[in-house]
Amino acid sequence: MTPAAPRSIDAYLKQLRAALADQDPALIQDAAYDAEEYLRAEIASHPDKSEADVLELIASTYGAPEEVATAYRETEAKVNAAMQTPVRPAGEAPGTLQRFFSVYSDPRAYTSLFFMLLALATGVVYFTIAVAGISISLSLALLIVGIPFFLAFIGIVRVISLGEGRLIEAMTADSRTWTTLAYFILMLPLGIIYFVIAVVGLALGLGFLVAIPVAVLQGFDVIDSSIEPAWIATAPALVVVGALGLIVLTTLMHGARGIGRMHAQLAKRFLVTQD
Amino acid sequence: MENSQARKFQKDLNGGLVTLVLLAVLAASDEDLYGYEIAKRLQKANEGDALFKEGTVYPVLRSLSAAGLLTSRIVPSYSGPPRRYYRITEEGRATLEQYRSVWRQTRDFVDRFIEAGITP
Repeated sequence: MTPAAPRSIDAYLKQLRAALADQDPALIQDAAYDAEEYLRAEIASHPDKSEADVLELIASTYGAPEEVATAYRETEAKVNAAMQTPVRPAGEAPGTLQRFFSVYSDPRAYTSLFFMLLALATGVVYFTIAVAGISISLSLALLIVGIPFFLAFIGIVRVISLGEGRLIEAMTADSRTWTTLAYFILMLPLGIIYFVIAVVGLALGLGFLVAIPVAVLQGFDVIDSSIEPAWIATAPALVVVGALGLIVLTTLMHGARGIGRMHAQLAKRFLVTQD
Repeated sequence: MENSQARKFQKDLNGGLVTLVLLAVLAASDEDLYGYEIAKRLQKANEGDALFKEGTVYPVLRSLSAAGLLTSRIVPSYSGPPRRYYRITEEGRATLEQYRSVWRQTRDFVDRFIEAGITP
């Protein structure tokens, strides 16, 4: 069953989205953006022809929607195969303890932790852009300058939305939907929470761990500082404190990975259109 | 291309060739290019019986970028969705050099058989 050849950009994009329906929403968004960019530029470079006339020739230049969809499907399969993490060899079931500490070898835990630390800054910026943009747009709506200002504001929102989507691997966004603005506003409280968890966890965990070398160096009179209360500087207490630091730090890494995963889901819901 | 056998053969060949051509186009360009510009540069040489559809260029750009052979930046556009501009990386240039020598070797090898049949 082949649908009728599209005669407008919207019809073309609709068919392309339908042909990619089983794919990741981010891939669909990319494909739709690519096609829209091409189609709009093609129409703009043929001012003498109507949209329908240009679209009529599109199957022989850009390719029909199904053809283009197949190209995305094939390259995506290749990229995924290349990026797959190697499977753990069978018969090597890791113990609970090993699984607990294996988080340190997971790059996603580090990127999530970094994202959490960054979240306060991005949260403040997004919140400011969203609130300032909305309020200035609304107040300027009375005047003619309100229109270009509003367009510029929407343009900025769309670019950030695309970039933010990439950053957290929730991928692309269609900022034509107003949910992007809701996401921007939500990022401030979430950013504060993420930042506090990351900083408190890091300070506590690293602080506990650092107590051991500090006490040792102090014992050799290398550094002149004192740990209060003094009983912490005894060997058994140090072992407990060190173990506590390790547990706090590892739990933080697990938490970061979980928050990263959760936030990616959240961002996907807000930033990617579900057509 | 009239028959489907020839079309299928062309499609099999294109898989790697589009990658080689895209890397070459971006390596030869002084400025960053976005999808439509790249497609149009190819179209000039690709006119008449087109070897490949321009729409197939975009996903290849995407995967080259994911592989680190290209970098991209996003620039807003008032006439449509944001544009993604591409630039070749040092790794991309090194890969292009390798592809180039593989291509020359392949072409010479194939020619040795094909040309032999034509010129007695």
